Amino acid sequence: MFSHEPTRNPLIINRRRLMGFLAGAVATGIVTKSEALAYLQDSSAKTGVTAEEWNPETIKALAGTREVDTEADLHALVPETTEGTIQYWNVGPTEPDPQITKDLYQEFQDTFARYYPNITLENQNVGYNDMLDKIRTAAAGGAAPDVAKMPILWGVEFAARGDTSEVTLEEFGWTAEQFWPGALKSVTWDGKLYGVPTNNETMAFIWNKQIFADAGLDPESPPTTWADVVAYSNQIKQETGKNGYGMVAKVNAGNTPFRFMPVMWAYGGSALDEAVDEPTYETTMINSPEGIAALQTYYDMYVRDGSVPTSALTNTQTENQDLFIAGEIAMMISHPSEYVAMQGRAAGATGADKERADQIVANMAYGLIPEGPVRRAVVFGGSNAHIMSDAAHGAPVNRDAARALVAMLTGPEWSLKNNWTDSNPANLVGFETKWMKQRLEEIAFLEVTTAMLPYGIPFPVVPESPEVMNIIVPEMLQNALTETMTVEEAANDAADRINALIASR
Amino acid sequence: MAIAEAPALAVRRAPVAVPARETLGRRITRHWADYLYVLPALLVMLVVIGYPLVYTVWLSFHATPPRTGEWVFNGTQNYQDILSGPRFWRITMNTIYWTVGSTLFAFILGFGAALALHNPFRGRGVVRALLLIPWVVSAVAAAYVWRWILHSDYGLVSGMLRSWGVIDRPLVLLDSKSYVMPTLIAVNVWKEFPFVMVMLTAGLQTVPEGLLRAARIDGASTWDQFWHVTVPHLKGVILITTLLLFVGNLNSFTLVWLMTGGGPANASQLWITEIYNIAFRSLQYGMASAFSVILFIIMLALGYFYVKALTMNAPRREG
Repeated sequence: MFSHEPTRNPLIINRRRLMGFLAGAVATGIVTKSEALAYLQDSSAKTGVTAEEWNPETIKALAGTREVDTEADLHALVPETTEGTIQYWNVGPTEPDPQITKDLYQEFQDTFARYYPNITLENQNVGYNDMLDKIRTAAAGGAAPDVAKMPILWGVEFAARGDTSEVTLEEFGWTAEQFWPGALKSVTWDGKLYGVPTNNETMAFIWNKQIFADAGLDPESPPTTWADVVAYSNQIKQETGKNGYGMVAKVNAGNTPFRFMPVMWAYGGSALDEAVDEPTYETTMINSPEGIAALQTYYDMYVRDGSVPTSALTNTQTENQDLFIAGEIAMMISHPSEYVAMQGRAAGATGADKERADQIVANMAYGLIPEGPVRRAVVFGGSNAHIMSDAAHGAPVNRDAARALVAMLTGPEWSLKNNWTDSNPANLVGFETKWMKQRLEEIAFLEVTTAMLPYGIPFPVVPESPEVMNIIVPEMLQNALTETMTVEEAANDAADRINALIASR
Repeated sequence: MAIAEAPALAVRRAPVAVPARETLGRRITRHWADYLYVLPALLVMLVVIGYPLVYTVWLSFHATPPRTGEWVFNGTQNYQDILSGPRFWRITMNTIYWTVGSTLFAFILGFGAALALHNPFRGRGVVRALLLIPWVVSAVAAAYVWRWILHSDYGLVSGMLRSWGVIDRPLVLLDSKSYVMPTLIAVNVWKEFPFVMVMLTAGLQTVPEGLLRAARIDGASTWDQFWHVTVPHLKGVILITTLLLFVGNLNSFTLVWLMTGGGPANASQLWITEIYNIAFRSLQYGMASAFSVILFIIMLALGYFYVKALTMNAPRREG
């Protein structure tokens, strides 16, 4: 059916052919122009990632076309003899992560030490759910590190409070053309740059073909719309007794908004107005009819159909991994690294468990995230590197050493290697390197998540974003799913809280 | 003259001068060396406890918008917002439920264990050591293990009950608004009852065996011996133990935060987890400080009773 591969097979529809078909359909009146546009609507206006420039074919063509010499580039910027100590906090690999991720993480530190033997790098790997609290507290107490690599959602609040230093791309040897506009937007506050993007990614839709077949669904055809997801999830539950969709609805867990907001945006709602082409972040659309419809899909799956894990209210994606590898859920949203993670889990299993795990890995498939009535959407995610301010650090930051570290983190080689299995280099030159070519060969399904990039929508670039996404949105979900409130009441409650936040600015 | 016939000598006592009440200043001066010895500890307490306390109270009268990071004096607005919000009273009920429930059941279970282990039997030492395990396990490890055991979809408890045919659907505890608090209290009781057991075991050693024997001779039943001899003797220990438990549970954060995060839908949200949310998720340091001050006042009142209980029967030291 729908494919992202270049092909001569007339039965395979790719985006180019689809556009041609739709153009003809509009001309002959089969579909209206708005229907056609809605079907194709991507978010390139917000991120600068257009499907024409960034699709599996173009990415494959770019890979391996440029040589980079990271060591020489760095030493031209910051001399090898630079001295000092740098504290660097980041969300690094955890135990479930693939081994290659952990190996490259260590290799980065070893390589930095080799490039700059007189700079002591004090690296601290902080868990995703702990990092924000830790760095907030540290910054408030004048104990923040020199450099912090933070997920894309977090940096703006630190910039607003003056906890990050203003930077320019030039001081790291970069130009604006080397980054997607949406990525640069996420490190811009009040017209100034306060960080440099390290990586950007989107997620994809994953399903278990065997469970699909057992439920009487076509194993090669994932759901194309969120309404399909609800229907498939219910059919899987009815026919096999297994859960359909791996819903995540825990409060204070980043996984929750990353998986719910694509649904919200697909239906035409948004937390503030981040999904419109020119967002102002001064208003909320969470309780619009479209937003309520999005919340209704979750309600239908959890309450009406009971087709998702009961533990969704306290699950993160880590728990979903356990359920998926045990064959207890059929569908979920995640990164390409999920495939590698499943392979790792299968390798560690024994006996009958191993046989089942191997079968699940063999039946894993990736596709585009389903679309809604308005658009196909996914969170434009990633991370940024920040040099913290002297006030937040509690002492003058060693600017030269910090520049060396940030330049290495955001360079083509390490913005790619540091995100080998689950993201893309924010520095677009990374796509041209030999390592990109190697990744495309080694990592299954990477091209699918890359194909989602044009549909990426960034979270609102306002300091209130973490509270909105980590507390208000998940609590709205929990209020609806536990039937503490009706769907409409939960959405209205969330809107009231967001409006109160806006009013308190 | 016989001694018995000797007139009684009038014993005249010389008038005793009532000393003037000693002032605090004079007392301090007289005991200056004692105060010098405690001065370092007092200074540390002033820095570690006193300064944060004063700072928190001061901060509680300020608004701290996350956008600017600037603190704006707003009087008692934070207190008004907290006390007038429906969320506060819902969380207060949760906190009372959690604190009273955990204290009561931990006490009953701990007392029962202490009584059971009071009389010697073969293997008593081993049983006592096993019963201490929940107390020595770290709260973080306990939270994660229990979360796995009670997981709705792949938890040990749910899985076992389903495989035995006792239930045919997953046992939903931590994801249920109705069952999440009793479940968390059960885990907390498991964690805390050994503390009660230890305290009361020590107290039981002080109950005079002679009194119990006398009561038995007088025909007192086992219950009468317990209620009229043992319990009165343990009154002080019971009071201190329950007060410590109560205060500890009121402050208890780790289990609830790690197991449910206050969910689902705030059904297990406590004062302490809400303060954490307000401070470190919403970055409303002023409001979180106000909430902390309210909690502090309540703890202060409880602490007053604790100190009074501790010094209840202690002889007053004459200087």
